Amino acid sequence: MKLNRIGIVLIASALGVIVLVVGLLIVRQQDSRAAEVRAKGVALTRSLSNVPVKLIDGSGPGLSMLNTLFAYQDNGDLAYAAILDANGRTLGDVAGRGTFVPAAPLPADAATTFGQRTLPARDGARGLIEFYGPLADRSQGQAFVRVGFHQPGYAVLARDVSFLALLALMMFLLVPLVYVVIKREMAPLDELGRQLRQLGDADIVRQDSAHDVRELVGNMQAYLRFASSRIAQLEHGSLNATADNHVLQYGSKKLTAALQSLPDGLLMLAPGGLVTFASDKVEPLLGIAVDDILEQPVDAWCRDPALRTLLGRYANGQRDTLHAHSVDFTPANVEGKYLSATVQPLAAAHGAMAFGTLVVLRDVTREQLARQAGNDFVAHVSHELKSPLNVIGMYAETLADADAGDETLRVESLNVIQDEIERMNALVGNLLNVSKLETGSMSPERNRVRLDDLLRDAYDHALPRAEGKQLRVSLDLPRELEAVAIDKDLFRIALNNLLTNAIKYNRPGGSVTLAARNEDHEIVISVRDTGIGIAAADRERVFDKFYRVSEAGAKVARGGHGLGLYLAAQIVELHHGRIVLDSEPGTGSTFSIHLKIAPAATGVVTL
Amino acid sequence: MTQRYILLVDDEPHVTRVLRLALEKAGYAVTVAHDGHEALACMAQRVPDVLISDIQMDGMDGRTLCPLARSTYPDHDFLILVMTSMTALEERNWARELRNTEFLEKPLSPRQLVARLAKHFATA
Repeated sequence: MKLNRIGIVLIASALGVIVLVVGLLIVRQQDSRAAEVRAKGVALTRSLSNVPVKLIDGSGPGLSMLNTLFAYQDNGDLAYAAILDANGRTLGDVAGRGTFVPAAPLPADAATTFGQRTLPARDGARGLIEFYGPLADRSQGQAFVRVGFHQPGYAVLARDVSFLALLALMMFLLVPLVYVVIKREMAPLDELGRQLRQLGDADIVRQDSAHDVRELVGNMQAYLRFASSRIAQLEHGSLNATADNHVLQYGSKKLTAALQSLPDGLLMLAPGGLVTFASDKVEPLLGIAVDDILEQPVDAWCRDPALRTLLGRYANGQRDTLHAHSVDFTPANVEGKYLSATVQPLAAAHGAMAFGTLVVLRDVTREQLARQAGNDFVAHVSHELKSPLNVIGMYAETLADADAGDETLRVESLNVIQDEIERMNALVGNLLNVSKLETGSMSPERNRVRLDDLLRDAYDHALPRAEGKQLRVSLDLPRELEAVAIDKDLFRIALNNLLTNAIKYNRPGGSVTLAARNEDHEIVISVRDTGIGIAAADRERVFDKFYRVSEAGAKVARGGHGLGLYLAAQIVELHHGRIVLDSEPGTGSTFSIHLKIAPAATGVVTL
Repeated sequence: MTQRYILLVDDEPHVTRVLRLALEKAGYAVTVAHDGHEALACMAQRVPDVLISDIQMDGMDGRTLCPLARSTYPDHDFLILVMTSMTALEERNWARELRNTEFLEKPLSPRQLVARLAKHFATA
């Protein structure tokens, strides 16, 4: 079995390691002992070389120094010590038990230097290391000292055996531990291997093959599940981190998209005043490219003193940072725009976290123009009302001061006063109608009618005013007019306003024609005059509210109030019709109202 | 003593008609001009003792006429009365810089105008 082989290999390699370790330890110990012996030998030889011969050789009183040396040696390494004269004669010696001084002649250099040599072992005894050198005391001629040590033997290792055994045991005990761990990790593989072998055997034992394959597949799947679950566990953590990152990115992008799609321009300033965010809307509002704003201090891009001052105060923390402040200004780089900038601190957690400043730029051009138009309207109407009042006042005074007999002046005054009152009345009436139209409170009551009578009424109404100005008025109607769906009262206002203009801007001896005709799907009502005409430049704007044609060079009666044509056009539009102006300056103008013919139905009302 | 001569400039016929009546009744000689050009033509004939002018007029308006009348006749110290309404406050600054020039508020009362002129000629 594979596992058993692994066990054997483990044991063998463990033993090998133990042998190697023990061997290395022994070699190391040998080396250290040899070094020890060498040091001892050199030291002893040099010590003895300085001692007087008498003290060494035993010829002096008491124990000789050599004997003392042996009496106190701490181990059995020291084999012998001897003093020799120049002829190799022993002056004194001492030797350990079982040893004697070998009869080896000293080398030639012994007289001048200290040295060492190895003496071979003899019949069972250990080898010797000998140290030699000259004696300093030459009282008896040249003398030499020889000190011999036993070579350190393996026998001296006996005391280390227990330590080495313990070490080997500990190392050997690691084997089963490693074996168990390997077996644990190999178990699924081993199982797989077993199954594979069974599959191999199944060639012989066929009746079980299907079952075996199923089991094998099952086990493989189990193993794969196990492996993939381990992988999944690892990947799960990394996936979570990635997912969190994606969610954050998604949220951030969503927020940015929302900020970009706001109708107002947004700027975010860091606490230091650098712009950290600028939405695309800022560009058309301020007329400065976003790239020129980002990461720039306010002074670098802001051309508008009002905004710059306000932002500067926020950057310097001068303002109460809890409140927003607004400023209205006209951007320096964009013409005809009015902006409102609201600056407020960006903070969270009740001001504990400050992100800087948020600037919201809003286009208030429309509001500003509406306000302007409102002011203009009031000024205009006041002026329009004041002029007739002025005239009425003056004539009233004249009337009061006039001589009783001045009948002409009296009549004139009364006529003027009456005219002016009528003019004011028309103005106020039209103002009310315009107001109703614009607030939507005027809802046309459209009835299917024939226009003949309405046109005749309008004609009759215009006749006296025209004759007062020596104008000819004519009415041109076909025999039968198709029916249209209109609000009579409203339409009368539109017609009267057109006729009033045709009379007012005419010249003495001129004419006004009110006509109507059937066309394909329309009825066309036209008011034609032979008046001063309208210049091309004015034609486009003549239907604008309060627009009045410049009257330079033309001496005409007092101008209108700029509401008549506007009102007429609005009324026609309310009836889904259109009004067309055809004019030739100096020759006259024709205003045509095109109305759709109402579909034929029963119960046509003829008015 | 010759009649005092008033030049009245306004393009509003009702106004000139009434004021002319009132001034003639008070004994002044009156000429009416309908715009600045006409007024300068009249001044070339005879320099008035008082020039009364509206501001808004077709043709040459009062704002052009008055300084021109002053500079054309530097030796004549005639009074200029400018007729203006409260709504045209910003119109007044240019007139302040002209010598011997005053405003007449609209709506204008013929009586007040006559009284104003009488006072002027009494002190002159």
